[in-house]
Amino acid sequence: MSSDDYGDSDYGDESMADYGSEGSDQGYGSDGDFAYSDDDGAGMSSPISKGARKTFIVLDKDELRDRLKAAVAQAVDLLCISDAEATRALRFYKWDLGKLQEEWFGDPDAVRHKVGLIDEQPSTRRAEETCKICFESFPVADMHCARCKHYYCKDCWRGYIQTAIDSGPSCLDLRCPDPECKAAVPRGVVVSVADAPHRDRYEEFAVRSFVDDQRPIVWCPAPDCQNAVLTLSDRLGVAQDIFCRCGAAFCFNCKEEAHRPVDCETVRQWMIKNSAESENLNWILANTKPCPKCTRPIEKNQGCMHMTCSQCRHEFCWLCQGPWAEHGERTGGFYNCNRFKKAVEKGEIDEQEQKRAHARQSLERYMHYWQRWAENDSSRKKALEQVETFKGKQQEILSDRTATPTSQLKFIIDAWMQVVHCRRVLKWTYAIAYYTFEETAGASKEARDRMAQHQEFFEFNQGQAEHYLEKLHHKVEKDLAKFIRGKKGEEEAGASGSGATAGGGGASGAGSGEGEGDGAGPSGSGRPDPQGAWYTFREQLIGLTDVTRSHFDKLVNEFEKGLDEALKEYDVPMLEVAPSLAAAAAEASSRDAKGKAAAQPSRRVTRSSKRRQDVGEDSEAMALEEAAGFWQCRHCTYANEDMDAQACEVCGQPRRGANKQ
Amino acid sequence: MASKRIQKELADLQKDPPTSCSAGPAGDDLFHWQATIMGPSDSPYSGGVFFVTIHFPPDYPFKPPKVQFQTKVYHPNINSQGSICLDILKEQWSPALTISKVLLSICSLLTDPNPDDPLVPEIAHIYKTDRSRYEETARQH
Repeated sequence: MSSDDYGDSDYGDESMADYGSEGSDQGYGSDGDFAYSDDDGAGMSSPISKGARKTFIVLDKDELRDRLKAAVAQAVDLLCISDAEATRALRFYKWDLGKLQEEWFGDPDAVRHKVGLIDEQPSTRRAEETCKICFESFPVADMHCARCKHYYCKDCWRGYIQTAIDSGPSCLDLRCPDPECKAAVPRGVVVSVADAPHRDRYEEFAVRSFVDDQRPIVWCPAPDCQNAVLTLSDRLGVAQDIFCRCGAAFCFNCKEEAHRPVDCETVRQWMIKNSAESENLNWILANTKPCPKCTRPIEKNQGCMHMTCSQCRHEFCWLCQGPWAEHGERTGGFYNCNRFKKAVEKGEIDEQEQKRAHARQSLERYMHYWQRWAENDSSRKKALEQVETFKGKQQEILSDRTATPTSQLKFIIDAWMQVVHCRRVLKWTYAIAYYTFEETAGASKEARDRMAQHQEFFEFNQGQAEHYLEKLHHKVEKDLAKFIRGKKGEEEAGASGSGATAGGGGASGAGSGEGEGDGAGPSGSGRPDPQGAWYTFREQLIGLTDVTRSHFDKLVNEFEKGLDEALKEYDVPMLEVAPSLAAAAAEASSRDAKGKAAAQPSRRVTRSSKRRQDVGEDSEAMALEEAAGFWQCRHCTYANEDMDAQACEVCGQPRRGANKQ
Repeated sequence: MASKRIQKELADLQKDPPTSCSAGPAGDDLFHWQATIMGPSDSPYSGGVFFVTIHFPPDYPFKPPKVQFQTKVYHPNINSQGSICLDILKEQWSPALTISKVLLSICSLLTDPNPDDPLVPEIAHIYKTDRSRYEETARQH
């Protein structure tokens, strides 16, 4: 790990400009870890857009130590004090060099007194001193003091310091054992008397305080991860996604899993909601009635209206909740409870029924969003497992099979990581949607229309992003499997010597292969051009990874900007669009029942629906591009913003489907 | 280390006994002491004799000794079990402190209770609101 830039790094100034300091580490890039902070871009693209400013730096133990040393060295230079004094003073001022400097130059003695940096060592030393702890006499040369006039022997210092270290990080603030003396125990004394394990713990506490005391640095919350993260953002206290080198993705502010574009408070609420009993309560409210006598909730899943509470043996009518004894011939029969009807007419039961209906509805709504949230979460976890599997054996097989060095297979890991990242973002968009588009009672019609408009816009973008993610996921999961399986098929063929086996394997691969490329199916041993199929697959996967990334970036950015702002950019007249949109959507869906895009009404649907007469995937993709405001060149993946152009602005290659116009 | 230091403290106590208290091993065990404190004359405890047990931990003097009253004391910082709420017996302990200093601190705690950090809130409340009643009750104990 390079540390040459620490020496002169401007510590204390948070806008430290050593962005490139991570780049020199090749070790983690090549094994396919999340190397988000890598700027060298050696074939590694992170789920964060290319060219985006780096907003954080991952620091391992050594780098942290280097930074700590650099900070101390700077204070030593500025204040002309010793290393130990600078360490102590900085820790006292929570590593805020600016504040320390200001106070120091205002009144150095006051700072010295506060921190405990005193210098009262008697100039004329006696040859012997009595240790104030064990009351034995020792030659002064064998004793230590905290630069005050209290001498203690080495054994007593050791006992004092090690006891303090054993009791925790407060040992960093250790003072002279004399109860009246405020002198800070210098690090030098600790190092010279403590044994090795205690020394190590002391140093560890020092590094820990360096992180714990500074708001811009936090520990990675992943278990077993020893890295810390320094944020370069000046907006502390708001959500920031951090991708640690260990693979963990977490929020700088709340230490939960990374959750942009959702804010920390919503995440907290959602997590509480997911775990809380409140949903059980809602279910009980929606599906049970309390026993009229003992009020225990009762679920009626079948049977007649004659209920007997299993707890208090009270018999009552499920419909009117009156005692069963009052039911019978004279009230018009058991199954025709006219008391119930009367009650509804009078409006007595109405309120409770309404409450139940409302609870049922809100539970259904919650389940809708929760299921999607949970499904994406489990997809993400599976994808993470798969990328591990791939990094293990599969990578070798594939490299063999396609004659591609493993270093050039990183695009597959990139695609997997993009899937993992997007699944997480997508998952959280369901949590925001749950809160953002919640019906508020008593909202004005305008507010409701505005919300409907927002919701439509948001769901459209979400649907679009999801569409590309599904495609990417399918490709990297199913299509890739064919290439890997293809190898096995060949092996079997070679082992058994049976041509039929190989042929079968090949046929199945070719049969479901991507029809778009001009190459043969990706499998098929002995087929003329397996490399062609592999090449096409590679191109498509890289392109799809980029498109998916840009869609998710857009989704996140738009939400963070605020949906009003985002809508303005699309030139959508406020509040007028909702009805026309709905109409356009209905029109589109009736015309194009098969396309997935139809379910996601496009803003420019009238224009794109003309083109959509060319049925098929191209037109569907184009409709999506249209709505996204750019089209991605299939050849070089450049995002063209000129929607009417027929060729890519950068490479000049014709646009997909251009000839069909 | 611990026993050597305890022996030194014992020798010091015998050579130069502090006023109004005495201390020494209760039996053969050097780590288990018995001490007596005379009630300070300027306090409601004047005239009383209080017995105190002292247990030294094996890592004494780096860990504080455990000091407990055996005699019942009516005091905001001493509970019915005889436990004493005194900072130098807890987080403010320093190996440079000795038993003689601890006993003197306890004497001054008897004279000046610390009702803002009470072990027995009821007594502290009475001490703060009705000093004469507190003094009366303390004397009777």
